[in-house]
Amino acid sequence: MRNLLNFIRQSSTWLYAIVLVAFSFYLVFSHNSYHRSVYFTSANSLTGWLYDKSNSVRTYFYLHKNNRELLERNAKLESELYVLKELYHRDYDSISTTAFALDSVKASQFRFIPAEVSYLSFSAMNNYITLNKGLADGVKPDMGVISQRGVVGVVFKASEHFSAVIPIINAKFRLSAKLKNSGNYGSLSWDGSDIYTAQLQELPKHEVYQEGDTVLTSFSRIFPKGLVIGYVSGKAKSQNDNFNSFDVKLATNFYTIQDVLIIEDSYYTEQNQLEQSIRQ
Amino acid sequence: MKASAIYEIIMCAVLILLQVLLMNQISLFGIGTPILYVYFLTKLPMGSNRFYVITLGFIVGFIIDIFLNTPGMNAAATTIVAVMRKPLMNLFFSKDDEFEDFVPGIYRSSGAFVRFVVAMVLLHQSLLFFIGAFSFFNLTNTLIRIGASSLITLVLIFAIDSLMYKKVASEQ
Repeated sequence: MRNLLNFIRQSSTWLYAIVLVAFSFYLVFSHNSYHRSVYFTSANSLTGWLYDKSNSVRTYFYLHKNNRELLERNAKLESELYVLKELYHRDYDSISTTAFALDSVKASQFRFIPAEVSYLSFSAMNNYITLNKGLADGVKPDMGVISQRGVVGVVFKASEHFSAVIPIINAKFRLSAKLKNSGNYGSLSWDGSDIYTAQLQELPKHEVYQEGDTVLTSFSRIFPKGLVIGYVSGKAKSQNDNFNSFDVKLATNFYTIQDVLIIEDSYYTEQNQLEQSIRQ
Repeated sequence: MKASAIYEIIMCAVLILLQVLLMNQISLFGIGTPILYVYFLTKLPMGSNRFYVITLGFIVGFIIDIFLNTPGMNAAATTIVAVMRKPLMNLFFSKDDEFEDFVPGIYRSSGAFVRFVVAMVLLHQSLLFFIGAFSFFNLTNTLIRIGASSLITLVLIFAIDSLMYKKVASEQ
């Protein structure tokens, strides 16, 4: 007994350190990001507040660029609107029946909540984004996030006024995707090599591609179909010989990302419940 | 509480803020991010209580983890580095340097200090990357990242250390 006590006294620092390291590793392995308490994420009110304050200074440096992007976007929408108006008026038949008027207040399936990036960390493979909108603004976990150029990521935690997002450039991110000109689906993930490129994997061997091909979202409960993810930039090393892998140059530039839209899918709960009920 | 402890805690707080607000926004060529906060472990007095050093290491790592959404990763790496601090010091500094409150610095014991900091940063970066990369292990990629991040971290640490010393020297 005395020997044991002596041993504990002599190596107490080591034991103490081992306990702390073991606790840290417990956190690393046990905490599935979906079950983690919001207090241990950057969406908690203190870190959220701090990030928001620092961001309010930083946004000034991007004003010019953001303004230009908004103008470009505006011009594009304007021209689309023009084309649509044109079509509408061409096909408008003055003697058509008015008895079956379309419901003008029909809500669309998707609603977009504008938000600002208050923080984006580059810490090796576990990058996260913090947004300045939370539960109070209708943001819930599992909502998709897009920028003006393409897909950004998925909300995984939301507090009252902030939310934390897993972006494409996180090792945990997975998304079903396809090439624009084919019907085959693959899985998009990020191998951590650099923040401009992700990998589209598990495409059939016969899938042909050309550099610059657009990569779109496919079946997903989170994103609408057909959103731009990026553009094929070359062939990647495949982990499995039976499948093809491509490098995808991401449409979203994570260095300069500032304004994003959070996608609220009004059918999400319904679809989710249905799928849950099948599983049981 | 000793005055030096208050100074050290303020240093930790400043380094944490620097790390999360500035350093983690930097991604050099998309591969290297400076992990500056480990600098505090090299600037504690040589004779600091080991319990104190390890606790401080754990707490700083844990706070960084909360900011970066990486639970346990920085805490584990920094705690291990805090444990290894004493053995590494014994390895690089001669026995005459071992005063109670001797704070190593780039001017005071340059060769030993540089070697010591390089060892600490490399150890910390390696731990961080290997803990973070458990899920998908790509050795060349990880090594390149460790190299790039260590390099930019070391450049920053030595720059800050020489600036701090000049300030102290001009005040005297």
